[in-house]
Amino acid sequence: MKRQKTVYEAAIDHGFSRRDFLKMCTALAATLGLEFTQSDQVVKAMETKTRVPVVWLQFQDCTGCSESFIRSSQPKTESVLLEMISLEYSEVLSAPSGHQAEASMKQVFEKYKGEYILAVEGSIPDNDAYLTVAGQSAKETFLEMAAGAKAIIAYGSCSSWGGIAAAHPNPTGAKPVTSFVKNTPTILVPGCPPIAEVMTGVIAHIITFGKLPELDQFGRPKAFYRHRIHDKCNRRAYFDAGLFVENFDDEGAKQGYCLYKVGCKGPTTYNSCAEMRWNGGVSYPIQSGNPCFGCSEKDFWDNGPFYTRRAKIPGTQTTINPDAVGLAAIGATTAGIAVHAAGTVFKKKRDDKRGEEE
Amino acid sequence: MAELMPNIPTQTPGQSHDKPGINSENTFHPERPIVYKQINNEVRAYVWQLPVRIFHWVNMLAILLLMGTGIYIGKPFASAGIPEEAYFSNLMGWMRYIHFFAAFLFVICLMFRLYWVAVGNKFATSNPLRWIFWKEVFETIKYYIFLKNKKPHYVGHNPLAQLSYWIFIGLGSWIVMLTGFYMYFEPQQESFWAKLFVWVPYLFGGESYTLRSWHHLTAWGFMLFMVIHIYMAFRDDYLERNGSISSMITGYKTTTKKSVGEKNGK
Repeated sequence: MKRQKTVYEAAIDHGFSRRDFLKMCTALAATLGLEFTQSDQVVKAMETKTRVPVVWLQFQDCTGCSESFIRSSQPKTESVLLEMISLEYSEVLSAPSGHQAEASMKQVFEKYKGEYILAVEGSIPDNDAYLTVAGQSAKETFLEMAAGAKAIIAYGSCSSWGGIAAAHPNPTGAKPVTSFVKNTPTILVPGCPPIAEVMTGVIAHIITFGKLPELDQFGRPKAFYRHRIHDKCNRRAYFDAGLFVENFDDEGAKQGYCLYKVGCKGPTTYNSCAEMRWNGGVSYPIQSGNPCFGCSEKDFWDNGPFYTRRAKIPGTQTTINPDAVGLAAIGATTAGIAVHAAGTVFKKKRDDKRGEEE
Repeated sequence: MAELMPNIPTQTPGQSHDKPGINSENTFHPERPIVYKQINNEVRAYVWQLPVRIFHWVNMLAILLLMGTGIYIGKPFASAGIPEEAYFSNLMGWMRYIHFFAAFLFVICLMFRLYWVAVGNKFATSNPLRWIFWKEVFETIKYYIFLKNKKPHYVGHNPLAQLSYWIFIGLGSWIVMLTGFYMYFEPQQESFWAKLFVWVPYLFGGESYTLRSWHHLTAWGFMLFMVIHIYMAFRDDYLERNGSISSMITGYKTTTKKSVGEKNGK
């Protein structure tokens, strides 16, 4: 069997210099949230590790995650695709199609059992009838490939939480990948879509260290999901000052005030948009004047309107204006009290009168 | 004749004056007797001990501060009138600061109150795990909706009032405290304090947004409680002439000799 090229050899073959390679490794270390002194670990890993086979399955999705992935700037998508990973199966990027593509997936399962990474995009329907590819149901394909995978990366909110397909009333019975697999290490990379650099960064981390990055209690990589948007927001100073956009065409909107009152979900959303930003660090929704709508949070489609602050009735998918409902409840109670008080006075007067008569 | 008689309370019509009978109050914690002063046939019973009264008013202050600032945090209804840079004001910052300050006050206060349950008098505690308690809750409900009832006379809180404290002070406080602390430590997830509360999302079935909703809706529950609580206190004072309102300052309520029991007197 032919010896596989290391990431370094692959990079040199593609015409990069040693210097370019080191630069790439240093930038990668920064993306992974490592200290500068740990850059040598990245270099060493890239010099010794071979490309990791990846199978990218798509279920109930919109291909938005793939679209985001191919726009990574650091590490560059092409360097990920050509040097770090060997993308064996992808419905978007594969050259083969039909039986050839399916055959290459089976081949990976046999040849790289326990070595390949399974990337999943989209939710999996509980009811097989809703998604069948090449005569095999989504659930079967997933379970089969998950059994031989070294790790599963759930890309996007659909595969991480259920996403759009699982939104009320969830006709297909869509579920996140974690509902179907328990034994294979799984990492959630939610977002609709996730940030490109986060997608590639997670793969790079697995290649560099040979294991999953540190995860939080929900299974998301801490390096990218440990902060709320709100705590890293470029408009945070306006929040603390109490300066808010009331309408999208008011003076506050022009001044760049806080978008809290027009429904910004930054205070409840964990993602690294505010730090890494999008399109190579150009901007992100809040910077561009649109409130965050919390796309990387669980059940975000059921968390109420995007441009209004609401509260969710726990255990339901219903959101209400808590202060209006609260005030209405107080009003109704006060009215009830008025009636009750009148009844109390009336009854006391009557009882007193009877007492006197006796 | 009625004018000459001192207006002594207070037996619900139909109740026997001779036998106070067994009820949830006089069978509860007999080792913690009622302290009272007797004036003729009526007594002034020491119901609310000083720490309980201090708790009550500090708690009220904390809840008012929390609600005022909390409503602002949820829906900022005021801001600087003129467009300016963030540098010049810190309105939300102050609201949050006061909210957190009052929250710690609320928590410390409640922890002290829980301690007082163990060492205070019988009115400082409650035990709903008794059949007689629920029977009397039912009788008290009938009393409040003007039906014929067998509600006994109580020196302290009636069982329905006690139940409302279990729901709002007991359960409600824990909901706002746990969700509140989780949110408070959200920016420092790696800290020791945040790790104490990582399990909170599982308890409340959701993440940040759901926890916030719990917090906000429960806070309105407190407001509902407050309105009803104040009405009931005034109503009790009006019907029984027992000094319900002033008792929260003095600690003493006027009641009958019989209701405090024979053995308990000094």
